[in-house]
This record gives sequence, C-alpha cells and structure tokens, in this order.
Amino acid sequence: MELSADALALLEEIRQARAGRRTVASRGSARQVTLAEAYAIQAALGEGQPIKGYKLGLLSPAKQQQMGISEPVYGRIFSSMMLESPVRLSRFIQPRVEPELAAILCAPLAPGAAPGAAAAAVGGWFLGVDVLDSVWDGYRFSAAEVVADNSSGGGFLLGARMLDHPPDGMLRLYLNGALRAEGDLRTLGNLYERLGWLATMTGGLRAGQVIFFGSPAAATPAESGVLEVIGPGEDRLIVRLEND
Amino acid sequence: MPEQPVGGVDIDAVAQRLDNAWEQRQPLAPLSESLALTAEQAYAIQSRWTDLRLARGDRVIGRKIGLTSRAIQQQLGVNEPDYGSLWASRYFPLAGGRVDVPADLFVQARVEGELAFLIGRPLREPGATLHDVLAATEAIAAAIEIVDSRIADWRIKLVDTVADNASYGGFTLGPWSRVLRHVDLRTVGMLLHYNGEPAVQGIGAAALGHPARAVAWLANKLIAFGISLEPGDIVLSGSLGPAIPMRPGDLFTLEIHGQPPLSMRFV
Repeated sequence: MELSADALALLEEIRQARAGRRTVASRGSARQVTLAEAYAIQAALGEGQPIKGYKLGLLSPAKQQQMGISEPVYGRIFSSMMLESPVRLSRFIQPRVEPELAAILCAPLAPGAAPGAAAAAVGGWFLGVDVLDSVWDGYRFSAAEVVADNSSGGGFLLGARMLDHPPDGMLRLYLNGALRAEGDLRTLGNLYERLGWLATMTGGLRAGQVIFFGSPAAATPAESGVLEVIGPGEDRLIVRLEND
Repeated sequence: MPEQPVGGVDIDAVAQRLDNAWEQRQPLAPLSESLALTAEQAYAIQSRWTDLRLARGDRVIGRKIGLTSRAIQQQLGVNEPDYGSLWASRYFPLAGGRVDVPADLFVQARVEGELAFLIGRPLREPGATLHDVLAATEAIAAAIEIVDSRIADWRIKLVDTVADNASYGGFTLGPWSRVLRHVDLRTVGMLLHYNGEPAVQGIGAAALGHPARAVAWLANKLIAFGISLEPGDIVLSGSLGPAIPMRPGDLFTLEIHGQPPLSMRFV
C-alpha cells in the first residue's frame, strides 16, 4: 500500500516515540489517515519481528462509537511480548493492565472460516493479562492512531491452567489486594465469531498462535506489586510487577 | 568409513562402552574423569548410543527430561535440564494397575514419580511456551520412572548423565487422562509409597515450576538439534520429588491426585 504523507508522518512519529520511550499527544481527526493505512503502518513498524499471535481491542459498541468505527481493532503479538512473572515495568512507556481471556490455536484458520472451524481450531483457553503500552499521551487517541501503534500492544501473560471451554462469568483484576476492575465475559461477544473475523482480517491464523480476546473491564494503570486476575471458577493468574 | 572423532573424542567408542555397560550391568568410571567432554559432545555420544540400541532392534517411543529440580541442578552446577530417549524395550506396560519388573535389568536403579505427556500436535516452532505445550498435548498420565546410571556410584557430572541417556532406566504409565490437561499441573500432588509406607511427597511445581515448562524446554532444545516433538511421542516431564533406591523385592506405589494408583514391583 502506498502511504499518504500524513500516514508516513504518523509512522515516523510512533517509531521515534517508541525509540525514545516517550509519549506523544494525539492529533485526533486532524490527521488524514484511513484505518487501512493504519494497519499498513502497524505492519511496517513490526516488520521482521516474529508474530506469536494477535490481540483484539475496542470490543464494546460504546467504545467503537466513540472512536467512529464499527468493528473491533487488532494488534500483533510479537514473540518478545510473551512474558512471565515477574514483569519489569521499566520496559514500558505508560503501562496499563487488563484482565483477559486468551486461546492457543492447534490448527490453522483460513479467512472466512465457519464458526465450527474456529471452535475446532482452539487447542485451549487461558486466563490472561494484557499489559497495554500506548505511545499516545494519557491513552487519548483516534482509531487510526491506536491501530497504527499496534493497538497499544505491550506485554502478554497466560495462566498456568488450560481451561477446556471459554468460561462464562466475571473477570476481576486486583492490584496489591484491591479490586481495580471487573467485567462480564459476555461483553466480549461470541468468541468464535471474533476468531473468524480476525482470521479474515489477518489473511489467516496459524496453529500455535495465541489470541487475546480483549478486556471486559477497564484498563488500570500498572504499579509495582502483585497483580491478580481472577476468573470464573476461581481460576487465578498471579503476576509480580516490578520497578527494577 | 571410519567414524571421525568429534573434537578429539571418539564418540563411537564411548557410546559402545555405555552400551556394553547397559548390556552387562557393569558400571563405568565417570566419563568426566578421563575425558574433557562438552555438553554437545555428550549429546553426540547419547545419540550414537541410541543408534546402537536401534541397531539391536529397539525403538524410540519418546523422551525423558532430567535435572528438572532446582536442588539437583545446584548439585550438578547446571542451570538447565537435560534429556534422553525412551527406549521401548524398557517400557513396562501396566495391567490392572500393577507391573512386575525384573530387578536384574539394572545397575543401580532408583524410582521416581512424575507426569507423562502424550503429544497430540507437532511442536516444530522455536520459542515454544508451556501454554503451547498444553495446547499440543493429547493427554497426561501418572508415570513411575526408573532411573539408572551406568556410571559407578552415580558419581555423575552433567556430561556423564547426558551421555548416559539422561540416566534412563525404564518406566510405566497410568491411564492417559484428557482431564489432567485442564488441571493446574503446578499444584498436582504426588505420594510415592515404598513397601507400603508413604516415602516421598511431591508436587507439580517441582518440575521447573510447571511440568509443561519442562516439556517446552525439551521442545526448544530438540529444535536446536534439528529434531521435534511429534504426535504420539511420550514425554516424561521430570521427577516431582526425590528418587528412592531400589532393591529386589521392593514394591513402589505412585498416587497422583485424581488418578488411579500404579504399583511397580521388582522381582
């Protein structure tokens, strides 16, 4: 795709902000960049890095309306983003944490795959943590800006137990013992539909890829200490966050 | 064509000595006392020895992971596990939850309790994680592993046990469970009974923090050697507690939470 002058400027702005580990202010709709161009920028910024999977974002219709879009967005998960506890917060610019549900695929999924094919391609489900890391000051951004910035992808963790089906109920996030965010997993929508959409958008998914389905709860600024994600059935993911 | 020594070590000759020790149940002096072996050379010896076993009609039916506990790693001064091959001739199938094993097959056997993984999907990509392993696993079973050393008095360093097929002795398996795939394997408890007495307590987290993490280590290590875990492979993921020395006549019973017990008697 031939990028417009505005899109090239956006690409360069994100690249430099990441390299300098600093935030930049959103220019909102003043920027003439389409969503398709934003995905092309995302691809260009991630070129050469092995892709481990994808994350979904902006799932709720309310958020989408606010951003002037009518479907979710996705970002790339690079292998280097798969983390284990303890997580060093210094690797991020302005980290926020979200409780999520994730799946690992055990079979490829072609674009336009039927819901049954999507279900058959899931090897297992896990609780997850998405450590968001946006370059946009205060997480204020336009749809094109967030998509170009890899949909705020930062770091990803998975729970120790593989769930045999996607759970139904509440996902809660505690930071240092205090409940900071919670949300109903139903708000993620039908997960197999989401997988099919993602397969279509990305040109197909591969066996072994991990998919984070987005958060049913609000993002919480990360701070050092103990992060707990508690899912239905008392499943729990415990992560230590450290300021080196 | 004669075999070329690798880095000054006659790989073929050392493999042959190990095979003789295995066949005659006669231990060798530690290889590390007379040879300056690298880990890479030790794996080359192991691989050559497996070729010798295959030439005698044996079969590789999976892999075992050793040195998974921090205590054992510290003892040997290493910071990663090792692996060996599971030779079919030393798989002792269970019947009715029990199996008798000839005690005279071994040099100086010890018995351990652990979890076995049955691989259902290939793990061919580098960077496999414990989650990738779980998603690629068909089923999990309780396993009694017999470890044995062809090195006198178990005076092993890392290269000794690596060359010696990770001190493989034999094993038996409980029924394959698909349910165990969905259990938090870190917190699975194990009790190994020795002649009717509960003797060793273990827990899943003893194997590198999570048994599937040990399997992920293996998957990545094999890829570095140009091999991969494939559907049907059995993987012994590492002992969940200390090993107990075996004497003829001993009875070992392994209980793993939620699984039927397995008994192994040495006759």
